[in-house]
Amino acid sequence: MKANIKKGKITIAIAIGIACFALVFVMLMQFKIVNQTDITAIENMRETELRTELANWKAKYEETELKYEEIREKIDEYKETKQSNEETEKLVDDELEQVNMTLGKTYVEGEGIEVTLRDTENEEISKISSSDLLVIVNALKLAGAEAISINEERIVNMSDIVTINDTFIKVNGQRILAPYIIKAIGNQTYLESALLGNGGYVDELKKIGHDVSIVKINKVKINQYNDEIKIKYME
Amino acid sequence: MIAIAILIGCVLGAILGMNTPMISYTYSSYLAIAIIAALDSVFGGITSVIKKNFDLKIFITGFFGNAILSILLTILGEKLNVDIYLAAIVVFVGRMFTNLAIIRRYYVDKWSNQLKEKNEKKD
Repeated sequence: MKANIKKGKITIAIAIGIACFALVFVMLMQFKIVNQTDITAIENMRETELRTELANWKAKYEETELKYEEIREKIDEYKETKQSNEETEKLVDDELEQVNMTLGKTYVEGEGIEVTLRDTENEEISKISSSDLLVIVNALKLAGAEAISINEERIVNMSDIVTINDTFIKVNGQRILAPYIIKAIGNQTYLESALLGNGGYVDELKKIGHDVSIVKINKVKINQYNDEIKIKYME
Repeated sequence: MIAIAILIGCVLGAILGMNTPMISYTYSSYLAIAIIAALDSVFGGITSVIKKNFDLKIFITGFFGNAILSILLTILGEKLNVDIYLAAIVVFVGRMFTNLAIIRRYYVDKWSNQLKEKNEKKD
C-alpha cells in the first residue's frame, strides 16, 4: 500500500515535472520571439491586417500609376498640339513678314537698280514732273519690281506722286527735291530693259536732254513706309 | 518531491528553450494563449495534488487539450474577427487565481497548524 502511494506520488511528480518542462520551454520560446521582434506600430497589427493594408497600398499605387500614365499621355498630346501650333505660328509669322514686306512696312534690301534723274540747266526743257516719275514707277512695276522708293519715300499701293503748283513734287505727301533717285528691287535685267531700249521712258528723257543714269546695285536698300497705314472706311 | 520535479522541469525547459530556433511572429499569439492554458493546467494539477484528487489522465488531457483548444479558438476568433482569445485568457487567469488561492490557503493552514502545535508543546 505504502509502495503504491509512493509510486503514485512519483508519477504525479514526473507528470507535473514534464508539464512544467513543456511550459517553460514554450514560454522561453515566446520570450525570445517577443524580445527579438521590434515592438512598433506594426507589431500591434495582425498579419491579416498588415496584408489588407499592403493590398490597399498596392491598389492605391496601381491607381496612382494609372493616373500618372493618363496624365503623361495627356501631356504628350498637349506637346503635339503645341508643336503643331508652333508650326502654324511660324507659317503665320512668315506670311505676316511677307505681307509686311510687300505692304512696305519693313525695311528691305535685295538686288535691283537705282535710277537717278537730274534736271537740266537748260531752261527750254521742262523740268522733271511727277508724271515722269509716275511713268517710270509704272514701268518698274510692270517689270516686276518688288519694292520701289523715290528719294527714300517708299512707294506703296496708296502712294501719291503729284506736282503741286508746277513748283514741287510731293510723294507720300512729302516734298521731294531733285535729284530724284528711284530705287527698285527686282530682276536687274528686266528692270533696266523696261526703262531703256526701244520706247523706254528713260531713253526718251535722255533724248529730251535730261541727265538720267541707271546703276545696277546688288544690294539696294529701301526704307519702310514712314506713315501709318490707316484703315477707317474699309470693312 | 513535487517541488523538486517542478524545479527540474523548469530548469530543463529553460535550458532547452534558450537554444530553440526562432518562430515566426505570426504564431506568437497562438503560442502565448497556449502558454496561458498550460500554466492554468499546471496550477490546476498542483491544486489537485494538494486536494488529493489528482488524476493523471485528466491532468494530461487538460494540459494538452486546453492548449490546443485555446489555439483553435484564437484561430477561429481571427477568422471571425472577434477577439475570442480574450475570453480564454479571462477564464484561464481566473482559474489560475482560484487555484493559487487554494494552494496559498493550504500552505498557510499548514504553517499555522505547525505553529499551534509548537505552542501547545511548549505549554
